[in-house]
Amino acid sequence: MVDFIRNLSPNRRLALVAVVLGLLAVVGPNPYRGAAASVNTKEAAIQMARGTDQVGVTELADWIVQGRADFRVVDLRPATAYAEYHIPPAENIPVAGLAESSLSRNEKVVLYAEDGARAAQAWMLLKARGYRGVYILRGGLEAWKDSVLFPRIPENATPAQTVEFAKMREVSRYFGGTPQAAPGDSAAAVPVAALPKLSMPVAKAAPAGAKKKKKEGC
Amino acid sequence: METKPAQPYMNPYVAGVGLGLVLLASFVVMGRGIGASGAFASTITAGVDAVAPGHVAANAAYAEYLKEGTTPFKDWLVFEVLGVFVGGWLSGMFAHRVTRTVEKGPRISVRNRLIFALIGGVLMGVGAKLARGCTSGQALTGGALLNAGSWAFMIMVFVGAYGLAYLMRRQWT
Amino acid sequence: MMAPFFKYGMFGENLSLVVAFLVGIGFGFFLERAGFNSARKLAAQFYFTDLTVFKVMFTAIVTAMLGVYWLSALGVMDLSLVYLTPTFLVPQIIGGLVLGFGFVIGGYCPGTACVGVATGRVDAMVLLVGLFAGIIGFNEAYPLIAGFYNSTGYGQLTLPQVTGLPYGLLVFAVVLMALGGFAGAEWMEKRMAARKAEA
Repeated sequence: MVDFIRNLSPNRRLALVAVVLGLLAVVGPNPYRGAAASVNTKEAAIQMARGTDQVGVTELADWIVQGRADFRVVDLRPATAYAEYHIPPAENIPVAGLAESSLSRNEKVVLYAEDGARAAQAWMLLKARGYRGVYILRGGLEAWKDSVLFPRIPENATPAQTVEFAKMREVSRYFGGTPQAAPGDSAAAVPVAALPKLSMPVAKAAPAGAKKKKKEGC
Repeated sequence: METKPAQPYMNPYVAGVGLGLVLLASFVVMGRGIGASGAFASTITAGVDAVAPGHVAANAAYAEYLKEGTTPFKDWLVFEVLGVFVGGWLSGMFAHRVTRTVEKGPRISVRNRLIFALIGGVLMGVGAKLARGCTSGQALTGGALLNAGSWAFMIMVFVGAYGLAYLMRRQWT
Repeated sequence: MMAPFFKYGMFGENLSLVVAFLVGIGFGFFLERAGFNSARKLAAQFYFTDLTVFKVMFTAIVTAMLGVYWLSALGVMDLSLVYLTPTFLVPQIIGGLVLGFGFVIGGYCPGTACVGVATGRVDAMVLLVGLFAGIIGFNEAYPLIAGFYNSTGYGQLTLPQVTGLPYGLLVFAVVLMALGGFAGAEWMEKRMAARKAEA
């Protein structure tokens, strides 16, 4: 066998390699893994345990206020819900469209839906497909409404909470929300049941918008 | 360089393996194949955009090569084709094959050969645009990826060239 | 399982242009090594006297195809992330035919013309001028032919999808076809050389 190969001309040796690799390909697997994907469960579990898979709503609000551009916000809800209201820089990518989206694997992507569950599912899907910088918006849009758009100062607020509320009031106004009580007001005077009907601020047009899918052909 | 005789070309199968490995490296590193005609389309869009921006924006065939916030020159294929010039020149220099000449058969004048080259170039531009790629981007890249349209294209390139070869024999033989 | 590197964000847009330049150098280098800077050598393909074009092209296709197959099958590369030009069947058939005409008339294809220019071929320079004119002509006529250009679109379509055969089987079929072609090409070159010697 060794002699046989040794006696072949270089061209025939190349041909032999091609035939062997080609023949093995007949019994080999399909190179397209299709929708199947794998996830590093250990790494994902550690991120979950440490909470590094999530971003808080006030943190996200800070990023947006600071005008940072190193992240993308993805609204996973249906287009109708997105049209009604969305966090200002968010682009709308329903869960089914994630695989074909223009997100790239090294971008910081913050996912949110109504609450945390749908975003967590999408997080897992993207992790499995090799997206490294995906985060879940902790508490989803509900938390965004509660803490950013319509913040409320707790009864018997500590001084620290009062300072925090004063800051959130500014943030809330920035996003067109309405803080529920000024720190000077008596918190008890605003009973929860008597909350005014919350009207959602109309979202401004998304500034960045979805990036165009790049052309890679000849 | 003119003094030394041109070296013979490489064994075609070895050169083919080399070319294939370059293509494979492009797939592995970039997730895309190689190309050529796209770089010329980008250059044209850049040129026409400098003269008549409205004209480019209104025509999708030009506009698809526009880039957000930068020039159409800052494109992967443009840099790749610049490399092709450099790589071809390097290889030619090493083998003493860089000479100012016109490639033609013995039975045709230089002038006519250049006219045919011009006509061939025009057809090539139209064909490559119509097929969304040329021999590099479609036949080679798509061929290796078992792209259905690329194989149809590749077969038709050979059909077209062989079909017209008899009429063109005075140019080459 | 981290290839294609760029798609996994291992480097950015600017570095990708450096990669492009390096890939281009490799591409141009081997095109010239193979003799694709010479239109006579390229055109000889169509008169059966020198079948280098076929040999180099199909060796490259087989090499890259086997590499893509095995790297993907072994899980090193995610093939679904490799860009696949969408199929528009009839425009690509007609485009291939027109490009084939251009090939035998002009003597180069766009990539080989670049290598021809780099090694001083004047006809290759003229061909590139024609190439620019052809693309501009196409672009100017685009509003009229956009319908045809975008007809018979099948999206990203591979031969395994068309034939229903397993990917690996088609890989093997292409290998066999290429090797058979190479044997035929060697035989044909010898026969043409013998005929020329007789004449």
